[in-house]
Amino acid sequence: MNPGDLFILSPLVLIAAGAVLIMLVAAFYRSRLVAALLSLGTLAAAFCALPAVYSPKVAHVTALIVIDGYGLTFVGLVLGGTFAVAVLSYGYLEGTNEQPEEFYVLLMTACLGAAVVACSSHFASFFFGLEILNVSLYALIAYARRRSRGLEAALKYLAPAATADAFLLFGMALVYCKLGTMSFFKLQDLLVHQDGPIVSAGMAIFFLGIAFKLALVPSYMWAPDVYEGAPAPVTAFMATVSKGVMFVFLFRYFGELGSNSGNNLFILFSIMAVGSMFAGNLLGLLQRNVKRMLACSSIAHFGYVLVAFLSGGSLASAAVTIYLTVYFLMTLGAFGVIAVLSRTDREAETFADFQGLAWRRPWPALVLTTMLLSLAGIPVTAGFLAKLYILAAGAEVGRWALVVLLIVNSVIGLFYYFRLIVTLYLPVDVQTRAEFPYIPAAARVLLALLTLFVLFLGLYPGPLVDVGNIIKATV
Amino acid sequence: MLELLWLIPTLPLVGFLILAFAGPRLPRPASALVGVLSVVFSAFVTLVVAAAFVSLPPENRVYAQVLRTWMEIGPFKPEIALYMDPLSLIMLVVVTVVGSLIHIYSVEYMIDDDGYSRFFAYMNLFVSSMVILVLADNLLVLYVGWEGVGLCSYLLIGFWYREDVNAQAAMKAFIVTRIGDTAMAVGLFLLFTTFGTLNIQAVMKAAGSADSATAAAVTLAALLLLGGAVGKSAQLPLQTWLPDAMAGPTPVSALIHAATMVTAGVYLIARTHVLFSVGEWIQPVVAGIGLATLLLAGFSALTQSDIKRVLAYSTMSQIGYMFLALGVGAWSAAMFHFFTHAFFKALLFLAAGSIIVSLHHEQNMFKMGGLRTQLPVTFWTFLIGAASLSSLPLVTSGFYSKDAILWGVWTSARGGWWLTAGALLGAVLTSLYTFRMVFLTFFGEPRQTVTRKPGGFLHIPMLVLAFGAVAVGFLETPLTLGDVRLFSTFLGTALPSHETVYREAGELIFQLICITASVAGVYIAYRLYLRGRQRVEHPTDPPAWAALHRFWFVGWSFDLLYDTLFVKPFLWIARLNRRDVVDLLSIASAWVMEACHEVLSLLQTGRLRHYTLGVALGAVAAIAIMVFL
Repeated sequence: MNPGDLFILSPLVLIAAGAVLIMLVAAFYRSRLVAALLSLGTLAAAFCALPAVYSPKVAHVTALIVIDGYGLTFVGLVLGGTFAVAVLSYGYLEGTNEQPEEFYVLLMTACLGAAVVACSSHFASFFFGLEILNVSLYALIAYARRRSRGLEAALKYLAPAATADAFLLFGMALVYCKLGTMSFFKLQDLLVHQDGPIVSAGMAIFFLGIAFKLALVPSYMWAPDVYEGAPAPVTAFMATVSKGVMFVFLFRYFGELGSNSGNNLFILFSIMAVGSMFAGNLLGLLQRNVKRMLACSSIAHFGYVLVAFLSGGSLASAAVTIYLTVYFLMTLGAFGVIAVLSRTDREAETFADFQGLAWRRPWPALVLTTMLLSLAGIPVTAGFLAKLYILAAGAEVGRWALVVLLIVNSVIGLFYYFRLIVTLYLPVDVQTRAEFPYIPAAARVLLALLTLFVLFLGLYPGPLVDVGNIIKATV
Repeated sequence: MLELLWLIPTLPLVGFLILAFAGPRLPRPASALVGVLSVVFSAFVTLVVAAAFVSLPPENRVYAQVLRTWMEIGPFKPEIALYMDPLSLIMLVVVTVVGSLIHIYSVEYMIDDDGYSRFFAYMNLFVSSMVILVLADNLLVLYVGWEGVGLCSYLLIGFWYREDVNAQAAMKAFIVTRIGDTAMAVGLFLLFTTFGTLNIQAVMKAAGSADSATAAAVTLAALLLLGGAVGKSAQLPLQTWLPDAMAGPTPVSALIHAATMVTAGVYLIARTHVLFSVGEWIQPVVAGIGLATLLLAGFSALTQSDIKRVLAYSTMSQIGYMFLALGVGAWSAAMFHFFTHAFFKALLFLAAGSIIVSLHHEQNMFKMGGLRTQLPVTFWTFLIGAASLSSLPLVTSGFYSKDAILWGVWTSARGGWWLTAGALLGAVLTSLYTFRMVFLTFFGEPRQTVTRKPGGFLHIPMLVLAFGAVAVGFLETPLTLGDVRLFSTFLGTALPSHETVYREAGELIFQLICITASVAGVYIAYRLYLRGRQRVEHPTDPPAWAALHRFWFVGWSFDLLYDTLFVKPFLWIARLNRRDVVDLLSIASAWVMEACHEVLSLLQTGRLRHYTLGVALGAVAAIAIMVFL
């Protein structure tokens, strides 16, 4: 490790420094605004550092971290997602009983963990990043500690997450004992040729651990409970950043292996993809809680991305990039609306809360409508285009069964997205109407931008496609 | 200057967006200003672009502008591109110039209407869609414009939607043209599967060198595109919607249902002319449709009492002439007639509109009369339009364009004496119904007094169009009268030349016959409607004549025919299937989904131990798959 390496790592270093800085400042001067501004500044600085450290040559910093175009792009996405969550939490934390400053410290460390996962090239760094992310999340989920449901959600996340970590470690140990390496680049080459009960069992257990983080079948059941109980901005973070980086990691090292249809891994992932699509959409069908419904939607959406993962043709990497980006935009938008209408002590989350929102708060209702249309994949929104790319990627290599099941699931999904949209435009129910808080200007701007992006990319996807093609070139 | 091309569709679109979003809050003058200026600027840009285009050497007169690649999914890479050649330029000039005149006219015509800004919003959207249709370099983009103008036509026919009749007329227009559009869409799919592209030039090139295997597909595609053209241009058998479309405001009739949109079918056939010459029998079909429509509409026009319906049937009939010319391969004659027709027919509609506002929205010609002295400007401009429509010799543009068509039909390798005879009969009918209109409206005893004098906004566009209705004829004159060939030479790089055979009768003699036909029509009208007005107003005897009159009056009973053949059986089946049998399938699928939801919900117990159990079972299954499969 030399000073040059340190410079290459500067985005990660900046985030870590930001976390420390907020903690130190909070020790002397408690202010929600200062903490929020510091975290936003840190994220912006780290974002600006991304193009500076980029070089066409892949940089291996020690055996643990790899910095290349692929990783940096998704670190950028992680930073953007965290930025949005930080903006959303500012209003959400207003008037909270807790100390709001540490929330931002935890958000920074969670972001750091996610970024490390996106750049990891070794099992040690991967697990290390994952644990930074997880431990921060336990605390974030339970942040409103006087409310029992936050604590319940944290426990429900902690116990299965610990189980999943054990799976990951055990699986990796099995693979290591046969192949003798923990570097993913080396594993990538070795796994193509090596096959045997120990390695296979190790891989099975390892991917099950990853499936937990992605809330895929069979370990999806925690997701609705945890998403419902966690504070709305934290839910947004879990649904986007924390899931996104796991997928980025999975696609980078196992995309080639998993898309080889002769492999057992392909069967395993196909079952996960189809199962998640159906489980998510069917479970979402008649939910009365918007956060639970969006949790189910998120389960289904990662089933969709897995279809692109399983296709592995020339379009797969572009499809994954585009889908993840668009998924970030629309999920942040949807949870963002919930977050801006909520405070730590009273969340707007049931269908009754949202009934007639369009007549009471037209702009948030418009944002939520756009996001739901996009999640449903209606044309003119970015969600349609992203889904189209996945279908094209699947069709290109002839994965017709997956493509057809994806379409069937899109139809099922339509039902619950539209059910919520209809609710937004129903007459207001005077008896159950909830009081909505004031929305800070920053959050308004953020939601407006997300909506414009979703519409703009739906009409004219050119720029996003260019990014997708760049990623394709780097993989 | 050619780079400005993209502004031509964009300006009216911006006007539409402003009016659509801010319209109700804008004061009337502001709405009018936005609506008119966007189209006037667009026309100005068109003229600038046209000047730059004409100054190019003839062999370079093609300009393609790629704006952006819309998206890129593997080989699917649609581009947003515009394509201009002499053919699209002529359409473009008509759409924007005549369009802006009609917009100016509407400022006064619509002034009392509640939906003032809504009107201009629709009109701007129409101009923008029509320009997109014309400038498309790709059949898919053309189809977008095609549907866009169809939508605007629907919205504007039903502009006064509170009246049931208007809403029904709008629906009829939409559904009938939709039948044609569906055929056209299928034709586009067919072309795409055959050639793998929808780029117009690429398709034309590929179709030009089609082998016998693809020739059948191309011929079928041409027939399907003809279906679309027939629907849009109100030709047999999809002509029934146009007379009812007169329910819209008169400027709409002038712009959409006379000058521009209804001629889109002519443009489509000219644009894709290569497809139509692949199969031997397609062009004769086009000619036959044209001839049948022009006669049918001509007879119907004779019996109408509503001035706008006469003009509607007349439009149908004149487009029939264009189809006839396309069918015999007289490509540039068809476009020339389109060009002159746009001027004089728009003029006639606008003049009729000024009569209608002057007489408290009276449209029945038998309640008019003697307006010659009361509305002098309207009278003289209407007369110029009528003379042009009747193709009175030498000084009217209609004379030169219709003469070109008739001569083209007579000399064409694909023509024949019976096509020529039919077209000549049509010429007699045209001048007969036109001057019937003139004599009933402007001559005789006044029946009503003028309540409102038309002002400058009505008069100026009419005067400009009247000038055009005379002047544009001199762009193309026959051999015997100066032999000016500006129009056909200009189009020569975009359309093939006319295959002719030598005919015994000389051109001069043929022209004399045509002139005789036109003048004969005027003379019969004079005898019947000026001298013997009382008799024709009550055509009760003999009964056979009354029945025939009735038959023509309702447009040869096509409405009744379609009602019995299609609408009633359809409604009958719909009623029979009130509890939709097919629906049961989807309802059943909803039940299954709900049941699945219940099952999955039962698994969500909220208990941690069940969740971890699920993970453990999953692990066993995963290991089994990986190790044993």
